[in-house]
Amino acid sequence: MGLDRLAWRTLAARPLRTILTIAGIALGVAVLSASLTMGAGLDAAIARTVRDVVGNADLRVSAFREDGLSSGTADVIAATTGVAVVAPTVERRTYLAPVLGEPLRGAVTIVGIDPLPYAQLHPVELVAGYPLARPDETSAVITESLAKSDGFTIGSQLIVQGVGSPAYLRVIGILAGPGPAAGSGGRTVLIPIATAQAVFGMRGLSRVDIGLTPGASAASVSAALGDRLTAEPYVLSSPTDIAAGLRASTADFQAMTALVAAIVLFVGSFLIINTLSMTVGERAREVGLLRAAGATQAQVVRFVLVGAAFLGSIGSLIGLVLGAALGALMAGSVRALTGFTATVEGLSPASLALAFLVGLAVTIAAAIEPAIRAARISPIEALRARLDLPAARRGRLGWLAVVFAAVAILALAVWPPSAGTVGADRALAVYGALLVATLASPYLLPPLARLAGVPISGLLRLEERLARGSLGRDRNRTALTLGALVIGLAMIVALGWTAQAARERATAWLADVVPGDELVSSIRPVAADEGVAASLAAVAGVARVSPMATFDLAIRGVRVDAAAVVGADFLRDGRLTFTAGDRSAALTALDAGGAVVLPAATAGRLGARVGDALVVALGGGATLDLRVAGIVERSIPSGGGEAILVGWPDASGPLAVSGADVFAVRFAPGAGAPARTALEAKATELALEANPLARVQGAVSDALGRVFGLFDALAIVAVLVAALGVVNTLAMGVVERVREIGVLRAIGMTRGQASRMVVVEAGVLGVAGIVLGSLAGLVVGGILLALTGGLVAGISLPWASIAIAAVIGLAGSVIAAYYPSRLASGVSIVLALKFE
Amino acid sequence: MPPILEAHDLTKRFALGAETVEALRGISLAVQPGEFVALMGPSGSGKSTLLQLLGGLDRPTTGSVVFEGRDISHLSDDEATRLRRERTGFVFQAFNLIPLLSVRENIALPFTIAGQDAGRGEAHDRIREVIALVELEGKERYRPDQLSQGEQQRVAVARALVTRPSVLLADEPTGNLDYTTGGELLDALWKSSETAAQTIVLVTHDARAAAYADRILVIGDGQITDEISLGRRADHSAAPLIARLAQIGL
Repeated sequence: MGLDRLAWRTLAARPLRTILTIAGIALGVAVLSASLTMGAGLDAAIARTVRDVVGNADLRVSAFREDGLSSGTADVIAATTGVAVVAPTVERRTYLAPVLGEPLRGAVTIVGIDPLPYAQLHPVELVAGYPLARPDETSAVITESLAKSDGFTIGSQLIVQGVGSPAYLRVIGILAGPGPAAGSGGRTVLIPIATAQAVFGMRGLSRVDIGLTPGASAASVSAALGDRLTAEPYVLSSPTDIAAGLRASTADFQAMTALVAAIVLFVGSFLIINTLSMTVGERAREVGLLRAAGATQAQVVRFVLVGAAFLGSIGSLIGLVLGAALGALMAGSVRALTGFTATVEGLSPASLALAFLVGLAVTIAAAIEPAIRAARISPIEALRARLDLPAARRGRLGWLAVVFAAVAILALAVWPPSAGTVGADRALAVYGALLVATLASPYLLPPLARLAGVPISGLLRLEERLARGSLGRDRNRTALTLGALVIGLAMIVALGWTAQAARERATAWLADVVPGDELVSSIRPVAADEGVAASLAAVAGVARVSPMATFDLAIRGVRVDAAAVVGADFLRDGRLTFTAGDRSAALTALDAGGAVVLPAATAGRLGARVGDALVVALGGGATLDLRVAGIVERSIPSGGGEAILVGWPDASGPLAVSGADVFAVRFAPGAGAPARTALEAKATELALEANPLARVQGAVSDALGRVFGLFDALAIVAVLVAALGVVNTLAMGVVERVREIGVLRAIGMTRGQASRMVVVEAGVLGVAGIVLGSLAGLVVGGILLALTGGLVAGISLPWASIAIAAVIGLAGSVIAAYYPSRLASGVSIVLALKFE
Repeated sequence: MPPILEAHDLTKRFALGAETVEALRGISLAVQPGEFVALMGPSGSGKSTLLQLLGGLDRPTTGSVVFEGRDISHLSDDEATRLRRERTGFVFQAFNLIPLLSVRENIALPFTIAGQDAGRGEAHDRIREVIALVELEGKERYRPDQLSQGEQQRVAVARALVTRPSVLLADEPTGNLDYTTGGELLDALWKSSETAAQTIVLVTHDARAAAYADRILVIGDGQITDEISLGRRADHSAAPLIARLAQIGL
């Protein structure tokens, strides 16, 4: 029989341990492969979205201002050398008027196109009907998903609501896929551009897509456009820019998923090191015999590594299968979280091979130390009556650091490029903190075990005493088991804290900056002269209605988010926390015009201080000087962060903001529910949507909850792997103590007591894991928060997450003790006393 | 006086692979209170199996064991556990101490297992007594690995005696000890028999150990093949016994 076959038989001799280890590897590889699957799916979804949105266009010029690009700009673009096709587009969100008796459905995105050039740049794939043919016809093409959700077919009539009288359009075609409007959720209607401009009362264009002549380069045309387009501000982008922007929006998500995958794999490596160390310890005598019979050290190393390769291969293969299922599950939640429909068919054989090889490599890396230790066993020492290898045991934790480095290097090698280097730095910091917690655990174990045993010893003194002693028997083995548990629980606490802090920040932020109890929003700008604010203010119980609008400003060539507000409303309502400038003077200055209030983050980025003048580009070389009247801690949230606050005189004047898109409504004290109901009714009447601030805060909180829920689920996989380690360690402890348990049973210990002794051992391990895991979780959470600027004074601790980790840790440990405790209670006294 | 321990036609069969091994083949015996009985025989004769059945560690295939007038051959696991905890004491060849517990904690184990506080009252007094009996005063806080092998086995004897069991069952207790420490252990057992009228059943293949007994039952091939009555005596010289054993070919 060859040594390789003996390696296999050694694993087969301990089926439980072998199965647990394979399961640990499989779970680690599953999460890694699911993470790669999801990353590939997201990349494919982004590519698809870019294709849908940009089509074959080489460049896109988007309007900076709300009134859009002028036709003059479109003419200049068309006349630029290298430009072959110019496809002007108008895009607006609105509601379709409901059929009588039907409820109002969700908003749709209307995309007004010039059919001919549009078709040249955007392949129109129809599942039914015909494409649009003329720029002024009264027809529409809708997306397949809109047709399905709202029950439209070819020939259906759409009533598009705009600023003036509605437009009546006939559906003539149904478009495959989600359509060309990103973020519309597939609810898109293509209509002729002239019709769209008429409905929305627009003269300008939302964007112009450009197709280049053969041989023209995007760079040279971009440069030419830069020289020629000077009449108004615009944004020039390429499909690459758009894809990069979309990828950046999912970077944090992908980085966190990759981090958790690396952690699960690392926890899996604990299990492997422990298993192979136990096997080598048990088989020391056999290894000694092999050495005495002439086996070389290299042969012994190979003997252990072959076993590890077997475990790694089988575990990784199972992991790939599990990973495919997990990836499909994750892809489902990814759509809800990122807005992209990630599908799993995008996983390449190369990614599968990568996940397999990483699993195998981590297993082999974890096996090297036990293999070297086995090779160093002296035949004479091994053949002595009882073999103990304390010095070798000490080496186990040191080797863990080496495996850590290996996993870190592998993780960096497979790190999703879209997750960015900041994510990688954060992952390494978290990863390092968890390693320190693991390496510290053998030193913290004795006091923690004593502490954990205190509540138990009152009831089960003997069991607690024996359990604690048993945990201290092979401290490194216990430390590795504890370390795995600590990491899993720490991730639950850390992610919980990060989520909690994000929720608190989001809700506190809104409460600090919104001067109202209710937000009434419009999908189109509502001009001041439409009387909407007055109608809302006339509702009984409404104390104040404050119109707001978000728009973009061009400052020093950079797009900056801005919001038009009424300073006096903020002053009366006590909103905004000023860090510089006089509150009253600053807010009054906004209403007088010529002033802005900056959020601290933007002030820092622009290097602006109170009294400085910001020069805003208005197009055509014109500029507007706005003086910084004050700096606030936080401002109104906007797409890219926080908005610069501008008074309405500037917004509706030189900055050409046509109207408010949201009204903050403050109720009179004690107005109560009737006022809210009346306001909501009035809002519906005015085709507006009213949402209590608490609901907006709740929606933000829910969205964050969904994101972190996925990470929590992955962290629980780490706890599951750790629980497998607990089963392994406890079962090994029972096997090692069979004789002792037999003696205890012989002198009167009941089966129940023997069983409880193991359960208590698991409980002590669990409690120690909870204490250390919670502390490590706070450190890791602190790192995550500090790196995202969320670690602020007075932040509340994540008690709920600690409680969840405690329940999971204790329940996981005690459930893990089920089999080993049955093993202990089933020990035959007669056989145990014969056991050598 | 009725016997404290009886065996009636005991048999014990084990499955060994496809074969069945008959370890005991109809053994009957009776042990009187305060008697010191040795079971002797070659390896594999069935003496350890007999001891396990007498102490309720295992059940006979057929026959019965009567302990203090009660048939213990068909007790439930809990009943057998209680019997072992309260009425019998065991000493094994391997010392079988719990390495992480101190000398005192090892001796106190039967009380601790029973949920009693070994630090006070009668349990505390009994622990002190048995520590004195096995001459381990001053070493109560030592761990087993800090003791000599003889001392470790004396701890095992003290643990077996601390509950004042009706019968002490010892399986080759001197098997792992050298001549001197083995002698010290046998002296301790004798002392408990002489001073506390402790009933002892000792399994041994060492004539010197058997020479401490009042009566010797010789086991061969699963049956009692001979009985040697030495009577109670202060002189434990093994020479006469060795001569007698030689006569029966042991």
